[in-house]
Order: sequence, then structure tokens, then C-alpha cells
Amino acid sequence: MRDEISPEIFAKLADLAAFRFNPEEAEYLRMELNQQLKAIRQLETLALDVDVPLVPRGVTYTAESRPPLRPDVWVPFENPEEILNQAPEVEDGYLIVPDIPHRELD
Amino acid sequence: MSLTDQSAFDIAHKIKRGELAAVDVLDAALERIAAVDGRPGALDYSPLTQEDQTKVHAFITLTADRARQQAERVDARVSAGEDAGALAGVPITIKDLFCLKGVPTTAASRILSNFVAPYTATAVKRLEDAGAVVLGKVNMDEFAYGSSNESSAFKPTTRNPWDLSRVPGGSSGGSAAAVASGQGCLSVGTDTGGSIRQPAAYCGVVGLKPTYGRISRYGVIAFASSLDCPGPLARNVRDAALMLSVMAGADTRDSTAVRLPVPDYLAGIDRGVKGMRIGLSKDYLQISYPDPDTGETIMEDLPAEIRNMTLCAAGTLAAEGAEIVENVPMPNSIYGIPAYFVISRVEASSNLHRFDGVKYGYRARASQGDLAELYRQTRAEGFGLEPKLRVLMGMYMSGGQLSLQYFQRALQARSMIRADFETAFDPDGPYRLDVLLTPTAPTPAFKMGDFYGDSTLMQYSDQLTVSANHAGVPALSIPGGLSAEGLPMGLQMIGPDFAEATLFRAGYAFEQATADADWRAVKPCVLAEVE
Amino acid sequence: MMNPLAVPDQHRNKDGLMADFEAVIGLETHIQLNTVTKIFCSCKADSWQDPPNTNICPVCAGLPGVLPVLNEAAVYKGALLAAAMHAEIRLVSYFDRKNYFYPDLPKGYQISQFDLALGDGGYLDVTMPGGFVRRVNITKLHLEEDAGKTKYEGGQRLVDFNRCGVPLVEMVTEPDLRSADEAAQYLIRLRQLLRWLGVSEADMEKGHLRCDANVSIRTAGSTYLNTKTEIKNVNSIEAVRAAINMEIERQVALVQAGGQVESWTLDWDETRQRLNKMRSKETEADYRYFREPDLLPLELTSEWRDAVIQNLPELPLERQLRFMTRFQLPEYDADILTADRPIADYYEAALTAYGGDPKILSNWIMNEVLRMQNELGLSADALTLTPEYLAEVIRLVDAGTINAATGKALLVKVQQSGQAPQAIVAAEGLSQVSDDSALQSVIDAVLAAHPQEVESYRGGKEGLFGWFMGQVMRQTRGQADPAKTRALLQKALQGKR
Repeated sequence: MRDEISPEIFAKLADLAAFRFNPEEAEYLRMELNQQLKAIRQLETLALDVDVPLVPRGVTYTAESRPPLRPDVWVPFENPEEILNQAPEVEDGYLIVPDIPHRELD
Repeated sequence: MSLTDQSAFDIAHKIKRGELAAVDVLDAALERIAAVDGRPGALDYSPLTQEDQTKVHAFITLTADRARQQAERVDARVSAGEDAGALAGVPITIKDLFCLKGVPTTAASRILSNFVAPYTATAVKRLEDAGAVVLGKVNMDEFAYGSSNESSAFKPTTRNPWDLSRVPGGSSGGSAAAVASGQGCLSVGTDTGGSIRQPAAYCGVVGLKPTYGRISRYGVIAFASSLDCPGPLARNVRDAALMLSVMAGADTRDSTAVRLPVPDYLAGIDRGVKGMRIGLSKDYLQISYPDPDTGETIMEDLPAEIRNMTLCAAGTLAAEGAEIVENVPMPNSIYGIPAYFVISRVEASSNLHRFDGVKYGYRARASQGDLAELYRQTRAEGFGLEPKLRVLMGMYMSGGQLSLQYFQRALQARSMIRADFETAFDPDGPYRLDVLLTPTAPTPAFKMGDFYGDSTLMQYSDQLTVSANHAGVPALSIPGGLSAEGLPMGLQMIGPDFAEATLFRAGYAFEQATADADWRAVKPCVLAEVE
Repeated sequence: MMNPLAVPDQHRNKDGLMADFEAVIGLETHIQLNTVTKIFCSCKADSWQDPPNTNICPVCAGLPGVLPVLNEAAVYKGALLAAAMHAEIRLVSYFDRKNYFYPDLPKGYQISQFDLALGDGGYLDVTMPGGFVRRVNITKLHLEEDAGKTKYEGGQRLVDFNRCGVPLVEMVTEPDLRSADEAAQYLIRLRQLLRWLGVSEADMEKGHLRCDANVSIRTAGSTYLNTKTEIKNVNSIEAVRAAINMEIERQVALVQAGGQVESWTLDWDETRQRLNKMRSKETEADYRYFREPDLLPLELTSEWRDAVIQNLPELPLERQLRFMTRFQLPEYDADILTADRPIADYYEAALTAYGGDPKILSNWIMNEVLRMQNELGLSADALTLTPEYLAEVIRLVDAGTINAATGKALLVKVQQSGQAPQAIVAAEGLSQVSDDSALQSVIDAVLAAHPQEVESYRGGKEGLFGWFMGQVMRQTRGQADPAKTRALLQKALQGKR
């Protein structure tokens, strides 16, 4: 049975996910994914039109159990500097990153 | 018995009564750690030595000084006649997936190896506010992806205290191993497909996956947001109940944390199982795994000793007055792993988008290129294979029409699994169960290296636990016996939404009924040399 | 030699287009709601002047382990806007993740609403230049979170998360607009509505109201849609107008020359007033939308929804029409008097207090009060010159107690002092001089003091009449009754002949 994820599809996924792989790693991962897919295909025995509500999670929330919406009250975080301190590169309070690729045209 | 092997319940009581000092308990715990844990997991590690192979390696970060300050505070409060909290002076460990302010939180990944959270997870804050003393952060599978702890980027990875050549299970392997080896009394872990229960079973301790939404997820680094459940690991049922009562409850920072009152989980825990309807299901006395070539599902009976442990346990509970209901059908559990593959990957892949080297954590050293280069290099170097696999699979299954083919079907499978449980627990239904009794894992702990690398087969070790995650229902794993090789086997009790108290009652009853069993006298081998 | 791409004027229709073509325009707007806090955390929503990365918290900075918690005010304002746009408010709506990588998006996904959003359908009726009303249909109306800001400096990108998580409503129109002027008009009315409802400051220069325009052309009268281009970075209504006009011309010229419009994304350069091509629109990024698992479905009760609809104020166009029908005001007046709610409320309060001719009141407000507002930078409800005081002043003028000029000056005095008009008139003795004999003596004095000018006037220099009036006014400190003065002065200047 032909692999569901071909090297081309794999390359596209890697691109979408902002990854880069060397050929060995790429091939290993591609094979693992395809193995997993064989198991996942079992899901195909489920008919799609069955009248089952697709719940986003198992537990049901009721009007009593669901938490209320948040009141519109300002509560400043006590130490935003600590958040900034975690950044790899900061200058004058800004996070620094390399520029975004542009395609210069016309 | 060393102080560090006592129950959390007893320790807290004694400390509050002034019979015991928190710093003494801490010292005992630190002594145990020094004796059994060996070097902590680290990013840059030297190859495994002979010595390493005789140690547990549960820890990534030991916070001894911080713990001492906490213990001293507890003792001061007790001296002043103040309430020192429900967990006063109890030493605990925290899976390194929970943010703890000022302490590294790594998720066992290189990409967060240098991350120090500026805030503390709600569940952890509640434990600390209740007087618990945090010994440190323990090891896990990278980003909680795995069932053996082997995928951690921080090595040596954790070993099973019962047989150090075996895995402790995962992803909360460090938590289970720490509790089992007396490195603290309690640990807080997470369970997304079985990650508290399976390691609890492998390490012979108690682990609870609460109902989804029972404990706040704020501050827990997300794996699969609709499946993740923080939960307690302990050496006995009552300790787990005590820990849950401290952690549970609504949180204004978590929109999915239910706003239901938290019952007193300790009250009535010893009421016994008389009249309880406890079910057994054929669907949970078999295992399945995919044929490596065709992918078709192969069904097999469980190994005899796992099966016998389960049936024996049913017998024990029946002798205590429970009504055993056999042949409860749970036909859709067979979709559990395939559906889990899909849902967890889609959510995980999205949850990992934020790790890009811009705001925190690892950033690849300046490359020639532009931002796209930075992203690629950072993520390539920062993530291990498991996260990469999950992200790729998640991307694949959430795009375009594949979303319909896989994702929608997986959601459907989840609904159907939930329906099975609702039928089983329906008080007006045909079975009217209070508890569904199953084994926790298809086998005892496997040898290190046996499955690592085969991600599909590795996932299937969660097949008996994953359905409870899909359905959101609570599930408790307790020690059920030892295998012929002397390895722990876990018993699982599943209940309806928010029925943790019932599970504790049933678990406690089983504990009491088997208190004198031979197998309970056996200790993990790593403790043989201690004391 | 004539530029082959230039279109000769005689071939242009009334919109300036080649008679064969019509423009098809749709607008995508992002509206920043004026809640106190962000949509999913308790940081401030307005951080306009704050230093970078000071208005942040773990949630909006996308730290590991954080969770979103929905702001109830964002839901209310979103629902209010949906109701005002005649959209259906869904009782159950969902949030979804829109996944992509960009440095201003800390989580690597934006929490938005994809298929089952808060608002369904809707429209805005806009009176277009030319007098007809166009119904602009809405195809999307949903809540989402804003991203941060980046700027380019010294070869690097600087990132600021202060704005991350501000609540936005994204509203997309069908391609119902047919010219740049129509697009501008839609934005003007939308801005008015947003301020009217109090859901957004809608200041385009501050980014409270952002707009992207989708532009295509087609043969006039046809119904199919051709390839469109997207114009971004237009930060004012005039920029929208100019950019769209320019793009329509470009497309027409291109097609006339036998070319094909490609789906480019264009960036408006405000300084150079021209459009630049951004990187070509690649295959639409696959955002892999899926339900946001960290949020529960947004469930509203029908009572709550009905209350929102009930509490809708009378909308601008409705109020304008009412001013026209009930008060018999011309459209021009009614439009100006309903530009915002404060001025409309002001007008009606003043009318009630005045009890006189609505048009007279309208004139006073349009000529005097609006100018005062502009000069002082105040909203109508912040004026010390209350509607009641205004009414009092006009009544004094109507009654002849003071003249019009004094009345206008009195408005300023009231605004500055806060005192009642009657009180000021009494205190400063501003009553109009209408007594004939008093006026006569002043006139006699003025004529006696300026014999040469009298000579000139009688000699035919009739323009001097105004000068004489001015003199009388000066002598009476502006309080002479103008009509009477005119009559008496005329007689006096003629009488001695």
C-alpha cells in the first residue's frame, strides 16, 4: 500500500510547521507518520453521516457549572519586566527579531 | 519507617499538632533523594554510567533552599498557633510541565531549557498555600508526549524504582517514580491519554485523572487542551483525596474549570462498597494493536496475570458487598487510540506554535537569514523527535479536506465513547454502574528501549486509559498486585462526571481489604539498600 | 505622442470610468472596541502612549501555560454592533483558532470566530453621493483578538505586544460598493455609527478603525466577479478614497491595454500617495481553523439578546429622517445635527426649551454652537452653554431684548462664565437700545460729528451707510436695535436734504 504521506507532502508539512530537517531525520519522521496513519485509518469505519453531535469535549457544562464571563475590570500584571526578561533579545523595551522576508518587486 | 515514607495525611496531622517539625520531614526527604535519585536530568549530559543505572533520576530541578524556607514558614505558623494548611509541611514534587514562579519550567525540552516562569500555576499555588513544601521539578516525556519518559531531552531519563532497567511509564514518569521511591509524599502530574494513571500503575502508586475541568489548567503547559487534566499521585488513596481537595475548584483564569462546589473527599471515604454496582467490560479485558504492515487491528486477550488481577479484584470487592455487573459493553473504546492520535495532535501542534525563539526559551544562534530562518532553526534544534512528529501529524490532519476525513471522525468517535460511558453510568439505564473496573495498562512496565522509536506501538500502551480522557470522566489507578516478575500492576476505576468521591471510596475499600496481602509488603528494589 | 494607456476624457462616464466598466468594491474593516480591558485578559485595552511591552501579562504575551478568559463587555459591544447592523445575533457562537506564524502573534494563532460567529448577515443603508441609498450587505461580523505591533528599524523588526489581545470586531462587506466615493461614504457612516453606539472611538489615525479594500472591475451591467486586488495600509478616509480611485484607474488601463488583473496585495504609501505591490498573494495560507478548546461555546439567552436589541438607541439615519419629517428640517441641517449623539440630543433638548421654530434653532446651532465646539474641542454634552441657556439666548433675540450680534457674543459669555444669559444681560446692561428718542439722539450726535461723511453720502457715496451704522453701533456698544437704527438713520441722512 502506497505511503499516504509522500516526500513532497512531508516537505510541505515541514514548511508549514516552520521546521527544517536533514534527509535522515525527514525520512524517519515520514515513516513514523505513515505508520501512525495506518492505525488512524481505523477511524474510517465510522460513517460520517451518523447523527451524533460533535462535542468539543466530553464533559457537559450546564448553566450552573460553566464559569461566568470576565468582568471588564483592569488588573495590571505586577511584573511585566519579568516577562521581557525571558526574551532572547530586547532593546529599549522592544523584542528584537530579524526582518521578515520580503519579496521586493516593481 | 523514614519520615519520608509516611502518608501525607499523617505528616500533615502530626505537624499541625506540633508532634513533628516540617524541616525534619524535609531533611528526611532530601536524604532519600540523595540516596536514590542520582544525578538530575540535564540537557548536556555525559553518557550513562554504571552508577546511573542504579538510580531513579526523577528530578530535573531540586529546589532545596526554597523548600527549606517553606518548611520553616510552616513550623513558624504552627508555633504561632496559626492554621498551617491542609498539607502543612508535606513534601511534594511537581511535574516540570507546571509553571512555578522563579524556578525553571522546562517541559523536559531544550526549547524551554532556559525558561523561568514569571507566574505560578493555579494548582501548584493552591498546594503551596495549603502548606505543601515543594522539593522541585521532576522529569517527564518532552512536552508530555510519550508513555515512558524516554523522550525527555534531560537525561538520564527516569527509571522505574521497582526495576531500574525498566521505564517508569509516562509522561508523568518522574512524578510516579518520585512518589514510589519516597522522594516526597505526593506529586502533581497531568493526564492527557493516561499520563498519570499508566506511570502510577507501572510504579505501584495511586494516580487520579480527575474529571476534565475539575482542576484548573492555568499554568500547565498545554498538550491537548480538550484532554489535559492535572491530577494527584500519591502512595495511598486517602492522600490522593486530600491532594485533590486542595487543588480542585473553579478558577477565574480558566474558562473550562467548572464552577461546582468541591466536596469533602475525605468524608465518607471509608464507607465501603456495600451496595455499589461495579462493572466489568469485555472490551477492557482485551488489547488491540495495529498490524505493522496492514494497519488492521489485531485483538488479543490481555496477559493472563493482568486479567486475573482484575477479576480477583472484582472478587475482593464483591466480598466486601459490592454488586459485580459483568459484560458491560463499551464497543467504541476501540476507537480510543485512533481518535486520540488525531485530536491530540491537532491541538498539540497548535499549542506548540508559540515556541519560536521570539519571546522566551531557546533561540538558535544568529543565522544569516531572516525571520523564517530563525523560526526553522530554533524549532529544528529546540524540539525533540516526539514534538516534531506531533506537530507534523497535527498539521496534516487539520488541513483542508483531511480535516473532514480525520478530525471530524475523531470528534465523532469521542462522542460515541462518551455515549458508552453515559449508558454504563446512567442511573435509569440498563447497567446503572457506580464504577467501571478495568486494568490500567495492558502490561507491567517494559524495558527501557523496547518501544522507544516506534511511536505507534508506544501509543497503544494507553489504550485502556485514553477513553476516560475522551469522555472527560474521572479515573483512578491503584496498585492491584505484582506480576510474576515482581512488577506492579495497576487497577483502574472509572466513574461518571465528578464522582471522584465514589472512586476514592471504592479504592480505599480495596486498599483496606488487601492491606495484609503479601504483595503489599514488597518494596521497590531501589529502596532495598536504603535504611 | 499620446500615452496609449491614457483614457480620453470623452470616453469616461459620470464616475470618471470608461463607460464600459464598473468598479466592484468590498471593504474589510477591523473595529477596535472601547472596552476597558483586552478581550481575553485584564490588561488595558487602550495603551496608545504607553512605553513598549509594559501593558502585558502572561496571557496576552502568549507565555506557556496560559488560558484565555472572555471579556463580557466585548461580547456586549459586539452584540450591540451586530444589532445595529441588522445582523442576527447568534445565541450560540464559537471561537476558533486561526494558526499562522508572525512575530506580532505571540501564541502563533489568533483566537477568532470562523463559521459560527456572533453576528450572522446584516446590512447598512448608506445615502450615497447622488442621493440614492445603497444597501451594503455584511457577510462577516465576528469577534477576535488584535495582534501586537512591529516596526522596521535598522535591519531588524521591533516587536511590541501592548496591543496584543485588544478586542476587535471584524466586519466584511459584500462587494456591493461601486466607487471610491461610495467606499468613503460607507466608512464615514460606519464611523458615525460606531461612535453613536459608544462601542468604539473609531479614530482611523489611531487604528481604532482599520480598513482593507478589495477592488475589481467588470463590464458595466454584468454580475460575475473578476479577480480582485487587496489594498492595505490605508489609514484615513481620504487615503481609502485616493487609493481605490488609483487602483480602479490602473485596472481599467490594464484591461484596456489587453492585460489581466492579477490578485495582488497592494500597500498604500501615504507619503508618496501611490500603491506599491506587496509580495504576491500566494495560495491562501491554510489557517487550519479548529474550535478553540480553551473556551466554552458562547451561549447567550434570548432574554439577554432581546434586551440588547431593545436598548439600541435610535440610529443616526433614523434620527436624521425624524428630524426631517417631524421638525421639517432640510436634509442638510438634519445630517449635520445628527452627526453624533451629543449634538442630536443637544438639539432636541434645546428645541424643547425653546419652543420656537426648529429651523431658527438649527441655524443658531449650525452657525454658532458647532463652531464653538470645534474651537474648544468639546463634545456638545460638555458645553457650559447648555441647551436651555441657548434657548434662553434665542428667545431674548426673538423678543428684541438684545440684537442678534449681542446674542452671538452672549453665547460666548455664557460658555465662559457659566452664568445664565438673563443674568449677564442684566449685569452688563446688554439690552438692545430700541427707544426711538435714545436712538435719535445718538444718530444726531454721529451726524454732527462727521459732517464731511454726511456730505459725501448725500453726494452719492451710498456705501457710507454701513459706516454710519457702525458708528451708531459703537456709540451704543453694539446694542442698538438694527432695524430701527437703519430706518431712523436713513431718514436722518435724507431728512436734512
